[in-house]
Amino acid sequence: MTTSRTENIPSPDPVTTEIMSNALQSVVDEAFIALMKSAYSTNIKERHDHSCAIVDRRGKLVTQAYNSIPVHVASVLGQMEALLKKYDLSEIHEGDIFAANDPHEGGGTHLPDVSLAKPVFVDGELLGFVCNIAHHADIGGMSPGSMAGGMSEIYQEGLRIPVIKLFRRGTLDQDLFDILLLNVRVRDERRGDYNAQFAALNLAERRLQDIAAKNSAALVAKVFEEIITRTGRRMADAIAGIPDGVYTFEDVMDDDGREAINVPIKLTATIDGERAIFDFTGTSPQTPGNINIPLHGTKAAVCYCLKAMLDPEIPNNHGVLDAVEVTAPPGTMLSCVAPASVASRAHTSQRIIDVVIGALATPLPEAAVGAANGANSMAVFAGSDPDTGEAYVYLETLGGGFGGRNDRDGKDGVQVHITNTSNLPVEAIEMEYPLLVESYGLIQDSGGAGKYRGGMGLQRVVRPLGHTCIFNGVGERFRNQPWGIFGGKPGASGSFWLMEDDKATRQLAHKPPDMELHPHQAVVVNTPGAGGYGDPAEREPAAVADDRASGKFSEAYMTEHYGPAPKE
Amino acid sequence: MWFIGVDVGGTFTDFHALNTADGRVELHKTPSTPDDPSRAILDGLGALMASAGIKADEIGRLAHGTTVATNTLIQRKGASVAVITTEGFKDLLEIGRQIRPKMYDMKADHPPPLAPRHMRFEVNERIGGKGQEIRPLTEEGINAVVDAVAGVETDACAVCLLFSFLAPDHERRIGAALRERLPDIGISLSSEVQPEFREYERFSTTLLNAYLQPVIGRYMKTLGRRFAEVAPKARLGINQSSGGLMSVERAGDMPIRTALSGPAAGTVGAIHQAALAGRPDVITLDMGGTSADVALIQGNEAGIGYDRNVAGFPIRLPMIDIHTVGAGGGSIAWFDRDGLMKVGPLSAGAEPGPACYGRGGTEPTVSDANLVLGRLPDSLIGGAMRLDVELARQAIQPTADRLGFTVEKTALGILGIVVANMVRAVRSISVERGHDPRDFALMAFGGAGALHAGDVARELEMREIIVPPAPGILCAQGLVVSDLKEDFVATRRLPYDAETLAAVAGDLADLRGRAEAWFAEEGIAMADRSLRIAFDMRYVRQNFELTVPWVEIEGGVEPDMSSLEALRARFYELHERTYGHYTETDPIEIVNIRVAAVGRTAPEQKAIAGEASSSEPSPIGSRAVWFAAEASVETPVYERASLSAGQSVRGPAVVEQLDALTVIHPGDLARVDAHGNLIIEVGA
Repeated sequence: MTTSRTENIPSPDPVTTEIMSNALQSVVDEAFIALMKSAYSTNIKERHDHSCAIVDRRGKLVTQAYNSIPVHVASVLGQMEALLKKYDLSEIHEGDIFAANDPHEGGGTHLPDVSLAKPVFVDGELLGFVCNIAHHADIGGMSPGSMAGGMSEIYQEGLRIPVIKLFRRGTLDQDLFDILLLNVRVRDERRGDYNAQFAALNLAERRLQDIAAKNSAALVAKVFEEIITRTGRRMADAIAGIPDGVYTFEDVMDDDGREAINVPIKLTATIDGERAIFDFTGTSPQTPGNINIPLHGTKAAVCYCLKAMLDPEIPNNHGVLDAVEVTAPPGTMLSCVAPASVASRAHTSQRIIDVVIGALATPLPEAAVGAANGANSMAVFAGSDPDTGEAYVYLETLGGGFGGRNDRDGKDGVQVHITNTSNLPVEAIEMEYPLLVESYGLIQDSGGAGKYRGGMGLQRVVRPLGHTCIFNGVGERFRNQPWGIFGGKPGASGSFWLMEDDKATRQLAHKPPDMELHPHQAVVVNTPGAGGYGDPAEREPAAVADDRASGKFSEAYMTEHYGPAPKE
Repeated sequence: MWFIGVDVGGTFTDFHALNTADGRVELHKTPSTPDDPSRAILDGLGALMASAGIKADEIGRLAHGTTVATNTLIQRKGASVAVITTEGFKDLLEIGRQIRPKMYDMKADHPPPLAPRHMRFEVNERIGGKGQEIRPLTEEGINAVVDAVAGVETDACAVCLLFSFLAPDHERRIGAALRERLPDIGISLSSEVQPEFREYERFSTTLLNAYLQPVIGRYMKTLGRRFAEVAPKARLGINQSSGGLMSVERAGDMPIRTALSGPAAGTVGAIHQAALAGRPDVITLDMGGTSADVALIQGNEAGIGYDRNVAGFPIRLPMIDIHTVGAGGGSIAWFDRDGLMKVGPLSAGAEPGPACYGRGGTEPTVSDANLVLGRLPDSLIGGAMRLDVELARQAIQPTADRLGFTVEKTALGILGIVVANMVRAVRSISVERGHDPRDFALMAFGGAGALHAGDVARELEMREIIVPPAPGILCAQGLVVSDLKEDFVATRRLPYDAETLAAVAGDLADLRGRAEAWFAEEGIAMADRSLRIAFDMRYVRQNFELTVPWVEIEGGVEPDMSSLEALRARFYELHERTYGHYTETDPIEIVNIRVAAVGRTAPEQKAIAGEASSSEPSPIGSRAVWFAAEASVETPVYERASLSAGQSVRGPAVVEQLDALTVIHPGDLARVDAHGNLIIEVGA
């Protein structure tokens, strides 16, 4: 196809573009909800670990559902790039559906995220693609859930899917589908999730065709271009507002996924007019453990960060991505190559964001924040209910501190950056599982001092009732503290503790593997706090007085950072 | 007897009075008095009584929709409030669900709790997940925590203990000790405000309730006393968010239930008017000066939702499921950083108002666009308010220059965008919940609903629009036709099978006993008592429930317990509609049992539009109205009051009345039904 239907059509005006982009947003939001509602697994239905998008015929992102996960941008782009490389446009037909998940061949970021794409045709001509991504609760491999630590090769992490044509002209390739389903646990649930993804694609295709029928496909295609161009312009203007210069920053991961050694992430950011180049040369080679991330995943993290620092309301489309250049040498942790394992790449994404904020803090002091808790602190309790004999697995990721900001304190006990999943209510946990939550609160002294202090970490103490269970934990920022900025002090690191008879007796490893927990014991989960912003000496006296009144900090801590309490 | 509804809005206080003997209706409108809303109520009532010749002892009921609670929350003008909670959990209200309101905005936070940390006190006690006592509550523990609350300056106290919905005894003992020691403060127990599981939402609702108690309690007392002087024989009812009335005393104890009082009344009015028009399935569009509310009504019933955010805080209570979007007459058009035009959510409000009001507003608004396009006349409220088309043009001109459009094309663009925003809101309550808007009629009301309904209906391919006889006063009308209502709930998590169906019998009897006691207290005659029983159900391991209606029983009749088995099929049906699938093999469980007690107090209805007429209505004039950017169309203007039942008007036409205006598009046909509704067939 050499001719484009958009030739000879004037650019749509700002009113038409706004009304049409509103309609396109409705398409992806509706598909997002349809997928959420018809999926079978809790991960999609309740944690909303899925995304929907429209891309143009060149594979460029036009619009994404409002509640989509930032890192899923990477999978949409990666898959479209791999798809258009593998298939000529002449091989793409109405009714085809493509699937992929492999980070090395299929444009994914980790195997549980299965991306699907369906071309949308109007009057026989390709208008663009509708896509969705769902995090499947299991994709096979050596451990249930396909996310455990300790894996060192992608082969151990589950079934690898390059870009494949799962539907050909509307017909499912049952042989291929049988392979996909045979290689995963809880096959029926996975089939249900796939069916939900297919249905959401078909819905989005139909809605997009309706819009094209109402307005002409040529106009829709032109609006795609217009949206991306305008967003690109908006992003480039925002970048041009950053003072030119070369900015560097370095931070470390607590371990390489297996062993507790510092693993460096190094960034050189160059701002030159409208160009923004993020070069991660100097970062650790890819690691044996599964904290690696492919380059398009790194780019998604950088783009999250720029959007958040420069213009949170900017639409999520290719205009943002085109405005930013991200490089890292192949074979390093942030541009990993086969057979690197990647399942826990979310922790790494959090650290990439800390590093980008650290580098841009110099030119953008007002947008920068102290390092947040920088993790997806995870605690898993599994066992059998002593009353019913039924097996249970209770998994939760806990928030922590958000960094101090230029005009206010960091938020206490909250999910940060690319993670925003809700906690499970204590009453839901205890009605569902034979566990007792002894306490759930903020950790005293965990927020880094500062003119604007860092947010506080969370503590949750959990005890098995009447049986022995297994505990698994995954911590980051457990060895290294979240740093403060512009003189702000670091927040506390996280930790896992074993408590016996109401006394904390032993600190556990920061990624404790399957550990037996008896009824007289409890696990204490302490998540990291966050770094402060600015010199504590500049903290307003009223804010210092509030800190004292709140009881969030000990008098010793207050005296150390802000001086003794004023005399009455 | 006269039944009077009074709805207090931000700008106007509206009255709808119905004579139950002859069906006569009197309407009245007076400016609101935000510093003391009761002043406008009493002054307006006096004026209405004088003009309509209503005597004090002829008023049987006055029902009130109020925004006092919502405004108190938004302006943070509630009481100083303390919290007592289970040891180990005083930060829970602050942590909430550990999420941020916006994924990409590093500076957006949920607001801090209304009780700061040093006002939150822990008490040593613990109830477990089966209602068992893990740690007892001792008298020393109670005394210590009550001492602590007494030691701080506070007007109210919220008592929020874990699992109190299963075992309320600990909360009750603390409540009793508080009442004895601090008789003048407001006290809210989470097991009384909303006895359901999920502690954060329950605690937050309870804290908000306590925060409002002193303010609303005072307001209710004053209003009750002054009203008793004006109308000694009348009962005063306060509308709740779930769409039913409660007593003033109850409202003083449970002020959080009035958070959606006004909009809920509008939906009740819409249901009533749609039922008269013979339309059981409608989508409502209530558009005012700053926002538009949409709700879905099916089979003459509004959807009930349980979770809502008010002023940044979650509340969990039964509420009419209303979706609000920042689209109103005062919504301002502006350009975003990427150069795309947006309309709202920022609004010119009532002051200074749209540019055309001539009160100093200069930004282009939706009302300015409507005026430039000839859809609004040059005066409102029967001439009481002039609109200046030149000021409107001047406000729009810079936007037109930037776009390279004519002023009229720009105005149509402003309307196009505000309509697109409303269309998205309608889609979110219909399409996204498994309903096709084409199966519904669009009920347009509020001052601006019927101005835009034609465009909204076209975008959604809806074929019919209903404009009630008094669209600007439908909320007040809803209050007149409201029944007395009280919701009861018990959390019982039980697998759904033959044995547990027997096990819920005790809970049901308990809930019904409480409902009957409430009926007796409210003096509702046996024949007017109605109970709707529903179960919140889900598949085991799901973390959300569907409310499955079971039976509606009248006049104290015993429900047929064997029909509980029917819940299964109804759950499947609801799951299919809501989530697109269901399975018969997975186990189901019951989570909550709900009983809604309705005491029928609303008057009988009569047709009001008088004699049917087949004559052609005559316009009072005509003006140029723009339906497209190229040219205007000379359009006849009718007075709503002059249209009688059976008459019809073919578009293009404009129908004017005191506080609302209806645009009938070219190709549409409007006719007046026996109840005074304007029924518009789109593209007839």
